[in-house]
Amino acid sequence: MALTRDVIDALRKILEPDALVTSPEGRMVYECDMHTLYKGAPDVVALPRTTEQVQAIVRVCREHRVPIVPRGSGTGLIGGAMAPRGGVMVGLNRMTAILDVDLPNRCATVQPGLINLWLTRAVAERGYFFAPDPSSQMVSSIGGNVSTNAGGPHCLKYGITTNHVLGLQMVTGAGDLVWLGGKTPERPGYDLTGAAVGSEGTFGLVTAVIVRLLHAPEAVKTVLAPFATIDDASETVSAIIAAGIIPAALEMLDQVMIQAIEDGVGAGYPREAAAVLLIELDGPRAEVEAQGERCAAIAREHRALDVRVARDEAERALLWKGRKEAAGAVGRIAPAYLLQDAVVPRSKLPEIMRRLQEIAARHRVVMANVFHAGDGNLHPLICYDDRDPDELRRATEANEELLSACIALGGSVTGEHGVGLDKAKKLTLQYADADLNFMYRLRRVFDPDHLMNPDKMLPSHPACGEGFRPARPVLPPGAWI
Amino acid sequence: MAETLAPAFTGADVPDMAALRTCVHCGICLPVCPTYRVLGEEMDSPRGRLYLIRAAAEGRIGLTPSLTRHLDLCLGCRACETACPSGVPFGSLLETARGQVERQGRSTTPRLLGRLIFALFPRPDRLGAALGALGLYQRSGLQRLVRAAGVLRVAPRLAAMEALLPVVPRRADVPVLTPARGTRRGRVALLTGCVQRHLYPDVNRATARLLSLAGWDVVAPPAQGCCGGLDLHAGRLDELRLRARALTAALPDDVDWVVTNAAGCGSAMREYAHWLPGDAGVARLAGRVRDVSQLLVDAELPLGRLGATVTYHDACHLVHGQKVRNEPRALLARIPGLRLVELADSELCCGSAGIYNLLEPAMAERLLAMKIERIVQTGARIVVAGNPGCLLQIAKGVRERGLDLEVLHPVQVLARALDQGRSFGEQDLGR
Amino acid sequence: MAVSTRPLAVALAEIAGADAVLDDPATLAAAAMDGVAPRWIVRPPSAERLAAVIALAADEHLAVVPRGSGSALELGRPPARVDLIVDTTGLDRILAYSPADQTIDVQAGVTLGALTAHVARHGQMLALDPAGGRGRTLGGLVAAAASGPLRARYGTLRDLVLGVRFVQADGVLTWGGARVVKSVTGYDVPKLMVGALGTLGLLVELTLRLHPVPAVEETRLAGFATAEAAGGFVAALLDTSVQCSRLELLSPAASTACGGAEAWSVAIAIGSVAEAVRAQMSVVDALVARGSGQTRPAPADVWSRYGAAMTAGDLGLRVGTLPSEVSRAAREAIATLGAAAAVGACATAGVLDVRASGVGVAEAEAAIRRLRASVAPTGGSVVIQAAPRALRERVDPWGPIEPGALALMTAVKRQFDPAGVLNPGRFVGGL
Repeated sequence: MALTRDVIDALRKILEPDALVTSPEGRMVYECDMHTLYKGAPDVVALPRTTEQVQAIVRVCREHRVPIVPRGSGTGLIGGAMAPRGGVMVGLNRMTAILDVDLPNRCATVQPGLINLWLTRAVAERGYFFAPDPSSQMVSSIGGNVSTNAGGPHCLKYGITTNHVLGLQMVTGAGDLVWLGGKTPERPGYDLTGAAVGSEGTFGLVTAVIVRLLHAPEAVKTVLAPFATIDDASETVSAIIAAGIIPAALEMLDQVMIQAIEDGVGAGYPREAAAVLLIELDGPRAEVEAQGERCAAIAREHRALDVRVARDEAERALLWKGRKEAAGAVGRIAPAYLLQDAVVPRSKLPEIMRRLQEIAARHRVVMANVFHAGDGNLHPLICYDDRDPDELRRATEANEELLSACIALGGSVTGEHGVGLDKAKKLTLQYADADLNFMYRLRRVFDPDHLMNPDKMLPSHPACGEGFRPARPVLPPGAWI
Repeated sequence: MAETLAPAFTGADVPDMAALRTCVHCGICLPVCPTYRVLGEEMDSPRGRLYLIRAAAEGRIGLTPSLTRHLDLCLGCRACETACPSGVPFGSLLETARGQVERQGRSTTPRLLGRLIFALFPRPDRLGAALGALGLYQRSGLQRLVRAAGVLRVAPRLAAMEALLPVVPRRADVPVLTPARGTRRGRVALLTGCVQRHLYPDVNRATARLLSLAGWDVVAPPAQGCCGGLDLHAGRLDELRLRARALTAALPDDVDWVVTNAAGCGSAMREYAHWLPGDAGVARLAGRVRDVSQLLVDAELPLGRLGATVTYHDACHLVHGQKVRNEPRALLARIPGLRLVELADSELCCGSAGIYNLLEPAMAERLLAMKIERIVQTGARIVVAGNPGCLLQIAKGVRERGLDLEVLHPVQVLARALDQGRSFGEQDLGR
Repeated sequence: MAVSTRPLAVALAEIAGADAVLDDPATLAAAAMDGVAPRWIVRPPSAERLAAVIALAADEHLAVVPRGSGSALELGRPPARVDLIVDTTGLDRILAYSPADQTIDVQAGVTLGALTAHVARHGQMLALDPAGGRGRTLGGLVAAAASGPLRARYGTLRDLVLGVRFVQADGVLTWGGARVVKSVTGYDVPKLMVGALGTLGLLVELTLRLHPVPAVEETRLAGFATAEAAGGFVAALLDTSVQCSRLELLSPAASTACGGAEAWSVAIAIGSVAEAVRAQMSVVDALVARGSGQTRPAPADVWSRYGAAMTAGDLGLRVGTLPSEVSRAAREAIATLGAAAAVGACATAGVLDVRASGVGVAEAEAAIRRLRASVAPTGGSVVIQAAPRALRERVDPWGPIEPGALALMTAVKRQFDPAGVLNPGRFVGGL
């Protein structure tokens, strides 16, 4: 759809002269996020600096019934920050301030465009950090993290974004500016903050976030354990969890991934290993020592080729740099890939890893694996050449099969990347009509006119979800007399 | 936008599609990009620019003024290359795309200014003459008169050029040969540069002195010409090739290393082989290029005490263009009494970027302001950078703000420490 | 009311099973809530039957009160009407437990004690220890958002509930969340159910995250001269990397009950491997000494004593405030309710549990108003957890909710229970 002159004029009145992108070239670069298969350019991109501007934008869009698509750093993997129906994209990249750091209450208030890692950098000197650490944390925005309820390697111990959000300021799809939650964690009433985190911009536009800050642990130990088979690595993961150890992070990378990372980043992973585990323990020093030894012993019991402990912060940083830049490094082995984010119960890891290899082989696709093994959150990357339709077809089929295999084991459709456009249709694998109907109705409370990030998060349905008719219990005849 | 046009790039030197396709759109380059940091918009980020170059290559868009504008605004600092896990060669993609824009006559750079710059800067002789006149302009009091009259206000780019100039020093060339002292390690050629030679003759002299102390014979042929770095960054690839061949011919072949002390020059020279495939002489030269800090870092230097707090700014073409990050810091840290304080966002461009600050003064000014703010936060009294462009730009910011801060090249700081040393003062060189 | 009592009882029996419906007057009278006796009590044997009961209730416009163990029925506004109590204790099966996954699926009527016993043999626990919690049902604990001292390390139920199955107000069985430890598929419906007092859906099944039981847990009691000193110690401790599993600031009465000195005290528990407990306790001891406190080992049953103290008395309050304000709020509670009041305050969660007895209605009302006024400026709240009907009629047990948020909460309730079937009128804002 094209916007009317009225909408553009109204937006111009709200924003600074350089804050409205209308050129075809400008709009084009906003047509996709990191999931480049889904493209949809907005009709206009607005780059507000203030909460008032955000609210005014929403009001203009409501008045003209124009879709609104929020966007942070555009690092999402699910086609969330693109505009399939055009409309107004709101780029929050100019709202990057840290509004308040309150260490006595171990929290900070930030604008949504603030880059995740910048918050930790701002408080690290005083011994604190912001726990959610998606691999994109050097670029992804906290608003984006809130939107997708982002995870990351360290959420194994620390929990995902929602566990670290105390409050949100939001302009709802109804155009109202509200504070949900606040610095005080204990609050009577519905936990609307909890409901809004992970709502992928379908409830409204977040304009400020109150996040928890954690005190840095006394000690950190990072262990790299290579294995000759993926099976051995998977079984090590299950055994560590079963031993009652909750590492800060427990990551697995397979050989294809190791090659790409070593070519790109040179993190020092052994190229000959079929898989490596990156195990990080943090906490009180004595606990870290004891658990580190236990993990090393478990790895050796499962035929680890080596158990290497990072000697200093530089080595640790390099091991993590390799891990965090993995998805980018895949560019070295393939021009495009599909990235899966399904979850299995972690006890099923050995089984699902065998299934994945089998599926990839059957569809003749190259698959790289880099994932959060400790919580069963898989990230197979299925490589394809975007100029080869047959390869794309096989990659897509393999990808769908992987997901179904995970769900069949009692897993989840997405562990941390979110739903977006990519997986909206897949929700039916995990939820019945009644469950989806509940979600549609929840969305409608915040966004009565269905303008906020349409087509994302929930499967599109002709009447916006009314089609998902819940099954009401059938009462015995005569029961309602 | 739906219908496909013919690919916008034609003829020789088209952006390499295979290189473009290595970008997986991860965005890790965004926060390190100076223009993205200032503007917060995708089309002025590396990822956005690559997307546009690729769209043009695929015929989705033409070489429109809007596309050209976003390319022009890029500083070419290549911070994105350092950040990129996929190894996208952003610099060469930008340079070829700029070359196409230039060749197809789509440039938005003001013609007259462009001509003036390229007639002047890459010509050490002409630049020298012009700067001589400028020295006169400054010393005569004409500068004060012109500034007071406000005549530059109507021409912002001219104003930028005028404001950038430090007090032009009188000419002082490096000797053609400075022999090694102590244990001889070999022989190096020194690139004396265009801007460096005329505006920072001290830097060349200190470079020769330090290298000599480190055991190198230093050869500095007087007629060297220009390395072509400015041409390369503007996408003037044919001019670059001419200059590369000329420089290769002008520098002696019997040297172990070719030393540069201007990051932009060193970075361009290291890439000669990419732009002149098959030219063995040029490739040999390119393979021997080293920044002065790389040759000094393991040398024994009789450094005296220098009680000062110093911060180090990473010149883009040193840290990103040549991956020289630790050597200058290690050298500075070796000076007794010197306290080296890390500069926040040290790798963020200062806005100089070759002639960028002349062509895009507004953006350059915003970046300079960010840089100065962070320098002030360090509490340092000396800020050090290994590139004359950065030195000019930061010195301008310091001058305009009336700050009590010295802006020096690392070799200048090292030379001072030598002066503090007992036995190896400046006078020893003449011995 | 569309139909009379008798035929509805027949219908309920037909749906839920004959022995699941209780409607003899004595039982109904005994089940009276705040003096309002229900017309029926149904104890369905399955989630499906429970759903059908709610469907019937919706058709018949009945007011339904969900009830677990019945220990938190004084939470919320007194009901205007109670037609049907739905007793969930018939849903007492553990559905699936996978020790290797550290997750468990239970029916909502399973008690915390039963769950604890079930998982203890695998060295696991649900990290939830609300006062008097062992006999309470998990559904009730979730609906009331109950928490105990373990919140210092493991957070509250919003961090522990992974999935929920519930019956909506129209009788539709609905599921939200996941059975695995990590999932962002769809909206986070479980969050909406925690602390909602069953007003959006009646909980029938839960998937919960479990934690390994630490090898050793040791508790210290540290007594201080004043509440400020105790608060200062807590703040200092939280600014270290010591990882407490429980950390409660205790009023003198609570301290005494827990076996501590008759003074403001702090109970510190650390759970880990033995060596780590020892090392961290030495940090704790040093901080106590620096704060001029006196440490003593706690009695083995300190946390059961704590639980007993926090369930004694007929007035129970829960105060939410800024973490940095808990010691001030604790003093304020003592100042308003008298020194005999037991206060346990957690500075990581910003929550205080307050218990008192023998406080007159007018006196209690004044105390609550004063406490609310003192915590309101920082977004705090005072919720009555337990009190006679008379008090909860005079003062809103939830206190005021910020208007913007309340408007949204009202919209949520209207969306999912427009007719007011589930716990009508008992929640915040009269929802």
